[in-house]
Amino acid sequence: MDKVLVFVETKGDEPRKASLELLCEAEKLAASGRFSVEAVCFGAMSDALKGKLLASARKLVRFTDPELAVYSPEGYARALAGYAAETGARMVLAGATGTGRDFLPRVAVMLGTGMVSDVTGANWFDDPMTFVRPMFGGKVFAEVAAPASPVVVTARPNSFAMDIPEGINGEYEERAAGSLADAIHTRVVRVEETKGDAVDLTEADLIVAGGRGLKAAENFRLIEDLAAAIGGTVGATRSVVDAKWRDQADQIGKSGKTVSPKLYIGAGISGAIHHIMGMDTSKVVLVVNRDPNAIIFNYANYGIVGDLFEVLPAMTEEIGKRKGRG
Amino acid sequence: MDFAFTEEQQFFKKIITDTVDRMVVPKAREIDEKDEFPWELWKDFTKLGYLGLRYPEEIGGMNADPVTAMIFYEQIARGSVGFAQSVIMNILMGTYFVYRFGSQAIRERCLFPAMKGEKVATMCFTEDQSGSDLSATRTTAVKDGSEWVINGTKMWITNGPVADFATVLATTDLSLGAKGLNFFLVEKGTPGFSPGQVLDKLGCRGTVTGELVFDNVRIPEENLLGAELNKGIEYLGEILDEVRVMTGAMAMGIAQAAYDEGLEYARKRIAFGKPIGNYQLIRAKFADMATEMEASRLLIYSAAWKMKERLPSRIEAAMAKMFATETCCKVVDEVTRIWGANAFANEYNPQRHFRDARFLLYGGGTHEILKDFMGRMLIGK
Amino acid sequence: MNILVLVKQVPDPEALVEIAASSKGLNIEPRFAVNLFDEFALEEALRIREKQGGKVKAISLGGPKAIEALRTAIAMGADEAVLIEDETLAASDGYNVALALSKAIEKETFDIVLAGRQAIDADRGEVPQMVAQFLGLPHVGVVVKLDISDGKALAESSLEGAKEVVEVALPAVFTAQKGLNEPRVPLITGVMKAMKVQIPKVAVEDLGLAKDMVAPENSKTKIVGYLPPKKRPAVQLIPGEAREAAAEAARILIDVERVI
Repeated sequence: MDKVLVFVETKGDEPRKASLELLCEAEKLAASGRFSVEAVCFGAMSDALKGKLLASARKLVRFTDPELAVYSPEGYARALAGYAAETGARMVLAGATGTGRDFLPRVAVMLGTGMVSDVTGANWFDDPMTFVRPMFGGKVFAEVAAPASPVVVTARPNSFAMDIPEGINGEYEERAAGSLADAIHTRVVRVEETKGDAVDLTEADLIVAGGRGLKAAENFRLIEDLAAAIGGTVGATRSVVDAKWRDQADQIGKSGKTVSPKLYIGAGISGAIHHIMGMDTSKVVLVVNRDPNAIIFNYANYGIVGDLFEVLPAMTEEIGKRKGRG
Repeated sequence: MDFAFTEEQQFFKKIITDTVDRMVVPKAREIDEKDEFPWELWKDFTKLGYLGLRYPEEIGGMNADPVTAMIFYEQIARGSVGFAQSVIMNILMGTYFVYRFGSQAIRERCLFPAMKGEKVATMCFTEDQSGSDLSATRTTAVKDGSEWVINGTKMWITNGPVADFATVLATTDLSLGAKGLNFFLVEKGTPGFSPGQVLDKLGCRGTVTGELVFDNVRIPEENLLGAELNKGIEYLGEILDEVRVMTGAMAMGIAQAAYDEGLEYARKRIAFGKPIGNYQLIRAKFADMATEMEASRLLIYSAAWKMKERLPSRIEAAMAKMFATETCCKVVDEVTRIWGANAFANEYNPQRHFRDARFLLYGGGTHEILKDFMGRMLIGK
Repeated sequence: MNILVLVKQVPDPEALVEIAASSKGLNIEPRFAVNLFDEFALEEALRIREKQGGKVKAISLGGPKAIEALRTAIAMGADEAVLIEDETLAASDGYNVALALSKAIEKETFDIVLAGRQAIDADRGEVPQMVAQFLGLPHVGVVVKLDISDGKALAESSLEGAKEVVEVALPAVFTAQKGLNEPRVPLITGVMKAMKVQIPKVAVEDLGLAKDMVAPENSKTKIVGYLPPKKRPAVQLIPGEAREAAAEAARILIDVERVI
């Protein structure tokens, strides 16, 4: 049986969504009988977290080295690659989060293999395995074959379903990679949380984005209110960020963040192509614009031709009412 | 025949295209809407050193050949015509005669600062009653001791209201017509020299254009920009071709800006379920525009090449200017048709290109004059 | 301070990219640019040189046209540049590209390697980290601020939104993220220099790599085809006044699409 290692990223007591999605995919691989799957994680583990992970993975291996308590590319890479080599893993998977994309390339080189980054689809049972990944900002998708072994892959968040079956009660094991101190040459001096507990746009399921149609920075309040009502994250277009109404971190688009939420609501956005490229893979798109000819309507599932200054607050109120009713 | 730009020229084109995209294009709309001299952009852009484009490296210039210069003129006009006219005035017409004939003191006072963007230059030809017909010039220059006294009013002067110095076309003898014309340097602050009415223009807004009044303006002898008296028309001949081809290059810049807008719209605008670029009549427009723009560019760059090789280029320069400007007017018209109703909205760009293009029909010589001149040259006397 | 900058020439972001009829290749409009993120890397290198003195050298792996990207680096102010000329290798997988680049870098004396966080054509974001691993050097990714002093770097990395300030001794590799700086527009003097400069080219064999090591057949990963993005059905406009439409939108999102 081929072994699959899934690197699980955690944030406090929660596994990251991207990791859970991969665990779900991995569970399908395990269920096929052709692969054995192990979830690998580093750093602190509360009982709550452990419980969640053991309900999602048939085996969980936690590396207890103190050097792994804080992320370092060399430390994480050495530990993960070391374990992959030791177990003769056929596949090493991780979510294409900032962290995953940062250190998995080092893992690949350590294992003398290549990698496929930011995949949105996978044909696990093909020989060689093939994956689908976006290029040119999503203008085109490439089918990539990975003939070398092991196969190292990062998967774009929200690309795989997260429907972990009931009844998994994973095995738990603790290990130590050992001698990591010499391998790590970076030191985290301090961490500045910029947005508290806000979900990062790239992982958000629900996004409300605003563009120049909002006319002024203060009016972004309408976007924030709607986002709060649906439990979503606020996004912005490049022109809004360039005008300094919002932070660069909020920018959706070619030179900003690429998002793949379940729901994208856009208001006051005309649909310039660089923005489209950043959100076009959203599952459901609803847009509000007073111009019936705005390009963005061509990229939406639903559209409201109207004044966002009236529509947005009305939506916020309606949704608030509905959710309040339960 | 090698029609390609040299690798150096291709690289220059890449850089200037990129520079214009970053610095000028984002400001173009604002420049047009405010219709004021864009001082902030002027300061940022002139720091890069492009105002010395045509002058020798020894004095801090780039010594660009005419082909390279045309590449520049095309791109800067593509960014913003309102800005381009001011820039080009400093690069060429407003400084050429100062460079050519000015004393070292004059160069230091005027040319070098103009090359750095520290001073704004202008050239004054046109008057209310004289445009193409320079022999009708009524601004006079009368010698009085060791000074010249200038009297007259100039009109349609680019940069006029903000100019630090002006190259003024004036006649020493009204009865001599064109043969009495000379260039004189008049600097801001000289008593009697003042800006008059500022023009409210259809297009090229952002370039401040206006009247300049010369009321008994006294200038020293050395401010006569010429080796000999009354040779103004002859000296003008030295840059006439370049000015004409330059206007053609600007026309291609405007045409390209409009064309790109048309392209984006044809690709994205959906009608009857498909992007309109799928329909034959729209495709035909692009076929025509692209062909005529290609032909225009070939005329422009081949005329510039002839100038570079010091081959005769008078008729080719006139052809290039005429054809390119007519093409530009067609392109901006077609693009507004492609944009449909949206072309009528000041919120979008095609209307600006449409308005800007009109200046080409008279700038650098009206069509009618050029055709007459060309016909005369071709048929003979 | 000797700074190396990895530069990639990519198709212009506005260039048309279409899938060929065979689905095995791409038809790309021949308009090129310096990779956006590499501009941030170049600019940062120039700023470090301005503060600390030293030399900036740009390295690119690409086809013959990539010389233009290196000329741009020189126009911005880089002191030197070199092209590893191999069009096929440049289009191959990250591992091979990183291997070749690391071989070229090995020959240089350097304190810092700066690269863009990803190339906007392949969108992989792998090569700089792989280069670091091949060279046995630490790296800090997605850097939005970089301070260098006393042979050490203090880099602000924004991997997940939060800013981590990371200290690392030089030599090290850094990948540049948007927001690190505002890339300068070249002065005419830089443009003139870049127009005339002769940029040296090397072949993969000159780097001590056997041609077959980095041949496409021996790639660890290979692109075997291309697919277009999924098409969305035509938009359904929700009619009515603001209140009406808003209520209907809420109903659709909650009851029909079940996304909230």
